[in-house]
Amino acid sequence: MARTLAMFTDTSLCIGCRACQVACKQWNELGPEVPDWTGSYQNHTHFTDKTFRLVRFFEAPGAAPNGDLAWLLMSDVCKHCADAGCLNACPTGAIYRTEHGTVNINQDVCNGCRYCVSACPFGVVSFNEQTGTATKCTFCNDRIHNGLGPACAKACPTESIQFGFRDDLVVKAQKRVETLKGMGFKEAQLYGADSKGFLGGLNAFFLLLGKPETYGLPVNPKLPQKNIFVDSLLSIGSAVLVGVGALMAFRSRGDGKEG
Amino acid sequence: MSLLQSSHWPFLIDVYFFLGGLAGGAFVIATVAGLVGSRLYRDVVRAGYYVALLALIPCPLILIVDLGVPGRFLNMMKTFNPQSPMSMGSWALAVFGLCVGLAALFTLIEDLQRKNLSNQKLIVGVIGGVFGFFVAAYPGVLLGATARPLWTNGHALGALFLAVGASTAAAAIALILTLAGRAAGEGATAIRRMTVLALLIQALSIVVFIVAVQGAGSAASDRALALLLSGPFKMTFWVGAIIVGTVVPLLLGLADLKRPSLALSAVTALLVLVGGFLVKYVVMAAGQA
Repeated sequence: MARTLAMFTDTSLCIGCRACQVACKQWNELGPEVPDWTGSYQNHTHFTDKTFRLVRFFEAPGAAPNGDLAWLLMSDVCKHCADAGCLNACPTGAIYRTEHGTVNINQDVCNGCRYCVSACPFGVVSFNEQTGTATKCTFCNDRIHNGLGPACAKACPTESIQFGFRDDLVVKAQKRVETLKGMGFKEAQLYGADSKGFLGGLNAFFLLLGKPETYGLPVNPKLPQKNIFVDSLLSIGSAVLVGVGALMAFRSRGDGKEG
Repeated sequence: MSLLQSSHWPFLIDVYFFLGGLAGGAFVIATVAGLVGSRLYRDVVRAGYYVALLALIPCPLILIVDLGVPGRFLNMMKTFNPQSPMSMGSWALAVFGLCVGLAALFTLIEDLQRKNLSNQKLIVGVIGGVFGFFVAAYPGVLLGATARPLWTNGHALGALFLAVGASTAAAAIALILTLAGRAAGEGATAIRRMTVLALLIQALSIVVFIVAVQGAGSAASDRALALLLSGPFKMTFWVGAIIVGTVVPLLLGLADLKRPSLALSAVTALLVLVGGFLVKYVVMAAGQA
């Protein structure tokens, strides 16, 4: 496998211009949608089959360094998890990992079972009613295989979205957290940078100015497939009870009467 | 605000979960009855294998129709992914379907030609029984392996779905025997005992499921559980699934065992069937809301 590529979204640099969202739509030919009225500049409420990059806006009382209300921005995207729930869930093999570590959905193989939509801990994967398939950010698969960065990173005017090798970006991100802490942003933290952390680390990771909850992100997302072992054991327990119950039900009179 | 999305699996999938569980349960019950006494329980074995066939026939059709691209349903059969309960379920359904078809065929040949194929049925029955259990339980494990707060914290959904499969299958067989005028036979008595036992396992699984979600203690799981217990689904859950679908038939079933009556048997069986469907329906609806 080639050296893992990553996107580092530094939300402290984001100005909420949504150039990334527009660039993503243009490059990936995602088409128009009816807008959502969210009460802020955010549009849409959720990721959709036509919105792979989504700039989210949060008013967080007391989150600013001086204790004032902070207006937090986050350009959100598929995290391309190292342990990806959607990829594990896929029953057709349509979801695959590229040699760069990114996660993609092969649109020619997906049959639209929609299991991956429920299996994503971040609500990224969306169902496209027109094509009948699941869709999400491709990490601009066509661009990165031709020596270009993702369209969102290219369009970002403040370098809030950076593209590069994962190991380089993590070092850079850690330095940035220290700088911000020195400036008084005590809650500055990385989300998903640790490859030993949740989901094996995210290949699109973030610098947040507050706790993950402030951004509506799960604090410690777990791989959905981790449940299979315990859930299966309980199912086997139930099967044993039903089997023994059936034997009891039929044996209590039937015993010895035959033959 | 969480961004979690829902698969929006429609009502048809609830029907599939119900029928798949019913087929798996009926097949297992028929096999156990055949193992204990193939002649004594001939009625139960026949009814069980036929019910399994009838319940299973619509299943693949439902699953294919629900796909975004139905023409690509065979893509499920080009992958073997043990990490994905849906992949394993597809394979189990295929093998189980084969066993159900064979068992029903053997039963039909017996009925038409008065041959004794109980050994053949036993082999198919034991192999198919394992897959029958799998088909009944895997939808619950499938739901558990998602990020939906109600399902991912429940852990007992596979156990619950399997128990519902067993209770509804026992009820369906009991109903058929009652309608066919065989309510007084050994088989009918045994299947009524089976219904009561399966209902107990069903009730136990519901309790484990609720306690597990409660014990998860996250804001998301609390919200999801509140939808089920005190939110928009409370009537369907408490009145439909718990009282009418589990507690009442349990009491009626016990009364029916003490003093057998045709009406009581039929009503009990009907309530178990309706209640079993409501259990799966409400878990799906509240989990996806």
